[in-house]
Amino acid sequence: MNPPLKRISMEELDLLCERRRSAGAPMAAYVGPLRRHVEEGDRRLLRLEYDASPAALRLWSFLLTEEERLHAARAAGAKIVGTMKDLGTVPVMAYALPNVVAFYPDGAWWTPCVMELSDGLFRIAQSLGFGESFCPVRAMLGAFVNRAHFPIPDLLVCSAGAVCDDFSAIAQRVESLGHPILWWEMPHRRRPEPDEPAVELPGGFSAPASQVALVRSELERVRSALEGLAGAPLGDAELADGVAQANRVRRLLAELRRLAYTAEVCPMPALEMLIAEMLAIHFCSDRAESIRVLADLLEEVRRRVKENRGVLAQDAARVFWVNPVADLRVMNLLEDCGGRLAGTEFLFSHALDLIPEDLPPMEALARMALADPMAGPSADRAARIERDARAFGAEAVLVSRIPGASHCALEGAVIGRTVRRTLAVPVVEIEVPPLADPIMPTLRAQLEALVETVMERRKP
Amino acid sequence: MTTVVYSSPFVPAEWIAAHGARPKRLRPDPGAAARSAAPVAGMCPYARALAGEAMALRDGQVAVFATTCDQMRRAAEWAALETPAPVFLFNVPATHGTPAAARLYRDELHRLGHFLVRLGAGDPAREKLADVMESYDARRRELRDALGILTPREASEAIAAFDRDGSPPTQAAHGSLPHGIPVAVVGGPLMRNDAQVFDRIEEAGGVVVLDGTESGARTIPAPFDRRRLRDDPVLELVDAYFGGIPDVFRRPDEALVAWLGRELASSGTRAVVLWRYVWCDLWAAFAARAGELAGLPVLDLDVSGDEGADRRTANRLQAFLEVLR
Repeated sequence: MNPPLKRISMEELDLLCERRRSAGAPMAAYVGPLRRHVEEGDRRLLRLEYDASPAALRLWSFLLTEEERLHAARAAGAKIVGTMKDLGTVPVMAYALPNVVAFYPDGAWWTPCVMELSDGLFRIAQSLGFGESFCPVRAMLGAFVNRAHFPIPDLLVCSAGAVCDDFSAIAQRVESLGHPILWWEMPHRRRPEPDEPAVELPGGFSAPASQVALVRSELERVRSALEGLAGAPLGDAELADGVAQANRVRRLLAELRRLAYTAEVCPMPALEMLIAEMLAIHFCSDRAESIRVLADLLEEVRRRVKENRGVLAQDAARVFWVNPVADLRVMNLLEDCGGRLAGTEFLFSHALDLIPEDLPPMEALARMALADPMAGPSADRAARIERDARAFGAEAVLVSRIPGASHCALEGAVIGRTVRRTLAVPVVEIEVPPLADPIMPTLRAQLEALVETVMERRKP
Repeated sequence: MTTVVYSSPFVPAEWIAAHGARPKRLRPDPGAAARSAAPVAGMCPYARALAGEAMALRDGQVAVFATTCDQMRRAAEWAALETPAPVFLFNVPATHGTPAAARLYRDELHRLGHFLVRLGAGDPAREKLADVMESYDARRRELRDALGILTPREASEAIAAFDRDGSPPTQAAHGSLPHGIPVAVVGGPLMRNDAQVFDRIEEAGGVVVLDGTESGARTIPAPFDRRRLRDDPVLELVDAYFGGIPDVFRRPDEALVAWLGRELASSGTRAVVLWRYVWCDLWAAFAARAGELAGLPVLDLDVSGDEGADRRTANRLQAFLEVLR
């Protein structure tokens, strides 16, 4: 095996950027040193460690320039859709229209982490009654108030019903501040009754056909609103193309995940994989470019796998990660403790599964939306985690609770219980606040203990 | 006869009764929370208590939960893992004013009906359903009439008794009702014995003139339309319950906002006590807006249902009302 590639600091990544620029290497216009973002307040970048590849540099630059992209789109006359909560469905529809850009204001939940709380978003949320008992997505409320981050969308669309209460409450507050929302119903996905027509959903869940029909009719309302905004029809042909483009992203991610989570030597760090997966939900506001970014990353991973090169020791403990972390630094910490990712379920597996292309597009999108792990029973989610963890050869499951989130307390317990029983691997629950520095020693101890347990279990 | 235990005001008692089952809308015992063995941190004490109640059900009893909040739908799943009793999760749409939402609610009524039939209940003919609804409507009218002549605590307990077994109030009218600073109690549901909060408010110098808790008058469905009741009783149920009850989980929540404005004005309220459980995001969020909406002082009363909660509540009410004197 070749010696592991080291993760590098931000300064080293910026040096890589400078060297490539000096050498005249082709780079997308938005690619640049991360220092510029630190100067704008993204101080957490100084504390992270990065993959040392041009592909990772491009990925990070793409992520960190999203707000600029949105403002530029607004300035260029594009219509902006703020799609909330459904994590992956409405953007597929929105990007099927010309001159429409969709993004998730929900993404502001990482701003307090990236800006190490200097953004003041939590303070604003607190002033409106949303304190620490709410999930970090309350930062979104602050961003709507201070207008210092994303542009205020021309249309806000939010799923309601089987969603987390934090988000529903925060979105309602956003609306009360003068931002009208098109609410659409996401029913609690249930198992079909014995005599009830059922439909298989992407990802393997099944649901009553009546629920799919309901979601489809709700998405038709969204379609009408999008058409009204764009001033153009959103026909099935356009939607089918939108689905096909989304599936290009999903296929790239599927291959990237397969290689990154199953290769003998881990070819890509956890942090970059988290960011890459996030691109699936709204393409980081540029669908075509997200495809190129992911293709670059996949090429890098393929090369490393072929050369049997990786970023971690070969014997790193294989950990399946559940839920996104509020503090990105913790993804580095997993690897510092001797672990690696062997599968993930960041609450949007429905945005990673292929959307059926052999169905009418609205039917396919309704099925995809209903496959949202948040919409169904925790037992479904646990079953999916078990299946994926098995496929990726995970030796442990880590459930990362989101502080304050209404679903985490019971969901973690159900997932833990199911996975322990069916997969017979150690399961640990941690809770990661947006800035985990004060509890980093505790988190380190928990992760080290998990890794040690895995190592112990490997002994004959 | 099957007893159907539930707590959501969106589950129509008359629908259950028309199927030949006994509806029992309960206020859970806070002590049942421990039985649930659900995590304490991050979980609503009311949902824990209801899960605990469901786990204690015996043969011939079933539990119905509603999806009106994330915690409750997850509590239903948790309870179903632990209890041999059948558990039904009723999907109450959050959105409203659309044909899809009303249809979903109606479909859920039928699904609940099929669930009861599978357990041995009967499938009611339209006439029978209309008769049962009429009977409930008449008793509910008696209940409404009585609420104005009872003390706030008695009124709350009368609603609880009606919810438990459909019995109309039996208390006699008082010569005089308590006086004090007029206060509204608005928020989530009450657990067993929580009606004593009305006494605490009186002890602190106030009097509850508006019970806007989930267990109070706010969630009593509107009277049925006699003609439509005979034409299409299910549609009338949908209108009265799903179409009529304002609540905090609904999106948008304009019906609750309108109800609050209307009721606060007509009741002469001078202050609002917002009753919410710890970890209840929906009411916690509404608490922050309630002051703006009401233009009145608001006490955000986070309740935990644990030992000592009553004393803490009494102290906070005392301090709040002292400022208003």
